[in-house]
Amino acid sequence: MSTAWLIARDELRMMVRNRLAMIGMGLLLLLTLTAVVSAWAHQRGIAELRARHAQAAEAAFDAQPDRHPHRMVHYGTFIFRPLGPLAAFDPGVDAFTGNSMFLEGHRQNTANFGDVRQSSLLIRFGQLTPAFVLQVIAPLLLIFLGYGVLARETEQGTLRVLMLQGARRWQVVGGKLLALGLVALIAGAPAMIGLVAMARQPGALTLPMLAIAAGYAAYLALWTILIVVVSGFVRRGRDALLALTALWTVSTILLPRAAADLASAAVPLANRLQSDVAIARDLRAMGDSHNPDDPHFAAFKQSVLDRHGVSRVEDLPLNYKGIVAIEGERMTSSLFNRYAAASHAAQARQNAYVDRIGLLSPAIALRSLSMAAAGTDLEGHRRFLDQAEAYRYALVQRLNAMQAQAVRFADDTATDADADRRKRVSASHWQAAPDFRFVAPDGATLAGAALPGLAVVLGWLVLALAALGLVTRRLGARR
Amino acid sequence: MPTTDPILISDLTLGYGTHTVLDGLSLAVPAGSITALLGGNGAGKSTTLSALLGFARARTGTITVCGIDPAADPDEARRLIAYLPENVALYDHLSAFENADYLLALSGERPKRGTIEDALSAAGLQDRAWHRRLGGFSKGMRQKVAIAVALLRQVPVLLLDEPTSGLDPRATADFNALLAEVRARGTAVLMVTHDLLSAADIADRIAFLEAGRVEHEVAASGEERFDVRKLHARFQLGAGRLAA
Repeated sequence: MSTAWLIARDELRMMVRNRLAMIGMGLLLLLTLTAVVSAWAHQRGIAELRARHAQAAEAAFDAQPDRHPHRMVHYGTFIFRPLGPLAAFDPGVDAFTGNSMFLEGHRQNTANFGDVRQSSLLIRFGQLTPAFVLQVIAPLLLIFLGYGVLARETEQGTLRVLMLQGARRWQVVGGKLLALGLVALIAGAPAMIGLVAMARQPGALTLPMLAIAAGYAAYLALWTILIVVVSGFVRRGRDALLALTALWTVSTILLPRAAADLASAAVPLANRLQSDVAIARDLRAMGDSHNPDDPHFAAFKQSVLDRHGVSRVEDLPLNYKGIVAIEGERMTSSLFNRYAAASHAAQARQNAYVDRIGLLSPAIALRSLSMAAAGTDLEGHRRFLDQAEAYRYALVQRLNAMQAQAVRFADDTATDADADRRKRVSASHWQAAPDFRFVAPDGATLAGAALPGLAVVLGWLVLALAALGLVTRRLGARR
Repeated sequence: MPTTDPILISDLTLGYGTHTVLDGLSLAVPAGSITALLGGNGAGKSTTLSALLGFARARTGTITVCGIDPAADPDEARRLIAYLPENVALYDHLSAFENADYLLALSGERPKRGTIEDALSAAGLQDRAWHRRLGGFSKGMRQKVAIAVALLRQVPVLLLDEPTSGLDPRATADFNALLAEVRARGTAVLMVTHDLLSAADIADRIAFLEAGRVEHEVAASGEERFDVRKLHARFQLGAGRLAA
């Protein structure tokens, strides 16, 4: 048996004989298992619920009777963001961003009903998910189990005993690293097994799963090395505990929260009220299709008449009201898209700001990696919003085109008793309209999005290894 | 064929910062012999052991353990040395037996269970304490465990720093008997001590360390071995000089 393994075995033996350490380890394993099971059940429940609601909304839309197409534009439909299997591991911003949208004409609605709005305030302090346990709780347990690996030996004089038995510095450090690494492996195993189980579900992708596994393995390895480095750098166990607890508090608790606050302060986002007022003002300035004196719509009307070589809208081969609805939707959508793009750009700048701060905290980098690979980051949410808007626009314009083509202008403007019947089109039209299907990105895209975070964690790992080399060289030196 | 003494120190000067601790120390401990190094507080006894263990680097002079410079290759030198410190540091979470087994395994030796138990017994540790964790052990009991470990190391050099400081007179006598066995198997033993009587009882040579160098060295001779009265006077003189 090698010297390093003998030292590792003794360290593990000491942990096993330490009742507090065993209770802590047991609690972590229990917590992780609970997180895996509850997060998985929660994710499956949500996925089923959303699928059921989506089906119900589609059925309700399809079940609408023969109607005027514009009434269907306002009837609208609900769509729901489906959750990928890896969302059970890291639900990311899903609980905060909302997951359902009401799609209708003339407006872009925001996603509604994030879990955070339906849950207690405690959810804001972090959900019990495998990702949260590994990012926040596991490093803390490793600190409590490992702060003394070298400091205790120095403090009690046994480090010199080890070296006098012929153990070399790197063997002592290697043994301690091996022992704490095994503890980290045990701590991370339930979550990783859960991840593999999640990744075996239909729709799960291998590359993102591998990116997540690599990221968390690197993160736990980083903490293992940092703990050994600090423990070898100081001479007393309590100093090591104090330094490591401070490091944990700053890097996993303070910096992630401070980063979000700093990003919000550096790149302020317009609030809902400000956006609504600004959009309403711009809509007013854009023109009024019902006002015959409106310069834009007067010019539009003339261009339509010229294109068809007629002088009155009544003579057009298409229903002019439908054509105006198409133009109006084009204009309002373009305005909404501009505001949405500005908001997304601001959020992207905020994210870039947080990512820069993430260079100082591996926890931020890991969180970003984990959410990106699980497809539950802000980019994933934006993907949903973009696809939802593309679907909404296509659906509304399809209905507007239906009005232009299937409803005669004369009937559309008629007010007689039978006019309402003549304005209706067959329900088969909306039954034929395609349903919303969220297209999830492929595995390479998700894994690629996780690479910057992974690079930061690996960069930290390299720095920690360099520090470990320095600590190993001066281990046991008289100070 | 010329042989080198396992412990060989020649004109060694060593210090920390501006303070010189060893100043021209020369000492040789042949194989199969016990040398006691006596001296007052601050004479440089423990520093001499630190230098032999490779924890302190010489300014001038040479120091070798079986031909190896401990400062240049401390790991290799330590493989040849068994060391019993004054303040024994062992693992409280392990039993006496486990401590011995673990530390010997680290040094590459895997004695049988019975051999370890025999050594613990020979060191004076009662059998009911062999498998108890060290948490509740007295200083003397810990000392006995450390003695067992040091004696079980099959190495050519044994360094002892105040080895009998935690032992009662009977245990001291038992310890000296063990040292005689170690000497008989050819080990070079250097024992730093204040215990003049114990040194006179077991050592082959006694060196008096004063102000960082060996000022006086006597060898055992005849039945009486040492004149303890003279040794005591010598010791008092050395300590007095240092105090002055």
